[in-house]
Amino acid sequence: MRKTVAAIIVLAGLAIASRTVLAHHAFGAEFDPNAPIRLQGKVVRLEWVNPHTWIHIEVIKDGKPEEWMVEGGTPNTLLRRGITKDTLAYGTEVIVDGYQTKDHSLKRANGRDITFTDGRKLFMGSSGTGAPRDGSDPTEGGTKPVPKKPGGR
Amino acid sequence: MRIAIAFSLAIVASVGLIAQQKPRPDLSGTWTNATITPLERPQGVTDLVLSEDAATRMERNIVARRDKLNEPSDPNRPAPPQGGDGSTGAAGNVGGYNNFWLDPGDRVAVVDGQRRSSLIIDPPDGHVPALTAEARARQGARLKLAAGRGQYDHPEYRPLAERCLLSFGPTTPLVPNYFYNNNIQIVQTPDHVMILMEMVHDARIVRIGGTHLPKHIRPWMGDSIGRWEGETLVVDTTNFPPQQNFRGSSENLHVIERFRRADARTINYRFTVDDPTTFTAPFTGEIPFRAIDELIYEYACHEGNYALSNVLSGARNEEKRLGTKQEK
Repeated sequence: MRKTVAAIIVLAGLAIASRTVLAHHAFGAEFDPNAPIRLQGKVVRLEWVNPHTWIHIEVIKDGKPEEWMVEGGTPNTLLRRGITKDTLAYGTEVIVDGYQTKDHSLKRANGRDITFTDGRKLFMGSSGTGAPRDGSDPTEGGTKPVPKKPGGR
Repeated sequence: MRIAIAFSLAIVASVGLIAQQKPRPDLSGTWTNATITPLERPQGVTDLVLSEDAATRMERNIVARRDKLNEPSDPNRPAPPQGGDGSTGAAGNVGGYNNFWLDPGDRVAVVDGQRRSSLIIDPPDGHVPALTAEARARQGARLKLAAGRGQYDHPEYRPLAERCLLSFGPTTPLVPNYFYNNNIQIVQTPDHVMILMEMVHDARIVRIGGTHLPKHIRPWMGDSIGRWEGETLVVDTTNFPPQQNFRGSSENLHVIERFRRADARTINYRFTVDDPTTFTAPFTGEIPFRAIDELIYEYACHEGNYALSNVLSGARNEEKRLGTKQEK
């Protein structure tokens, strides 16, 4: 019994560890830990592309507009939740904290945390896990994804 | 008597013909191999099979963790700490991006009704066998070479995934990456089976029958040939290129995969990895592929790959700042 409990604790801990953010490249090679930034501005463009989404925001600095690009994750997971490029309207004001690219001539940063101005996370308006639904769990929620096709036959 | 024998032979021949004509199981469709069961068994866990209670707690824990990470942030939060936020792994001290982009799965792997603590079933301890001395030396030499030539000095010195050339995990065997897009499309014809991984648009084409390519021909994903053993598709892959590796494997990597329909919405996938120049023993794992009711999305990795140029221009910027660039 003691062994079983220990196993549960270890596995539960491992499940958490598996949530470590990964990517197709090392973020530490791209962004400068000595250049932390906090940006607030309006969304002016979305690049809904792989391997990473880029959200362009216009920030007012010293009375002048500056366009920053903010790196997110793959859009594919959001598409499966029914979230498309049109979900985030241009003009929406957002807050971003992250680190600028190591090339400081670029106004680019990672979106370590990107939220609306009231602190809510972006794209969290609908329920659901984002995991593809296989129909085996009738309680699974989430908005319907757009493309449909029969799965394994 | 002679007539009886001839009649018996005719029956045997007919049965054989019917067996030959029986349609193969259809593996076509879209599937996911996402799971929270790790490849290797965690330290302290001895059994391959989990109790229902343990599995349920693992799954609830994942959901609770996800919900916690998706909670609102303080809108008045400052910029993150100077010098880095202490994150490790690929998020290397700068924190990566929000959890809502991720989709690592939220279920324990279930194979033949058993909830599993690891994907590896053999060796019985659930671990990848130790590396050979040769493999350890090879890894050391790789690291030395990378350090010596300057890992940021040329785009081709960057990892295959960063260059959008191959998947972010191995293409063979089909183990999950534990972060997102763990989806697979299979298209099957009598002569070929195509296995497409959503990341990074890796389409592996398996020839049914035939023999392997000559050893000097090494496609990016190796050379896969298949055969049917009853209801099971067996795929044999060799001829991996030196740039590909699975947990430190060499060009001698040999992977055997077995695809068997367990039920209308599940494929039981079993893989055996053998590379005597890398691992001290072969090892075998099992993963359930669950049918999904969706198409998989194009990945088109090159389309928005700003990261590669950002990494390289970042290195040039660092060199200017530190004055360390050696003229070549």
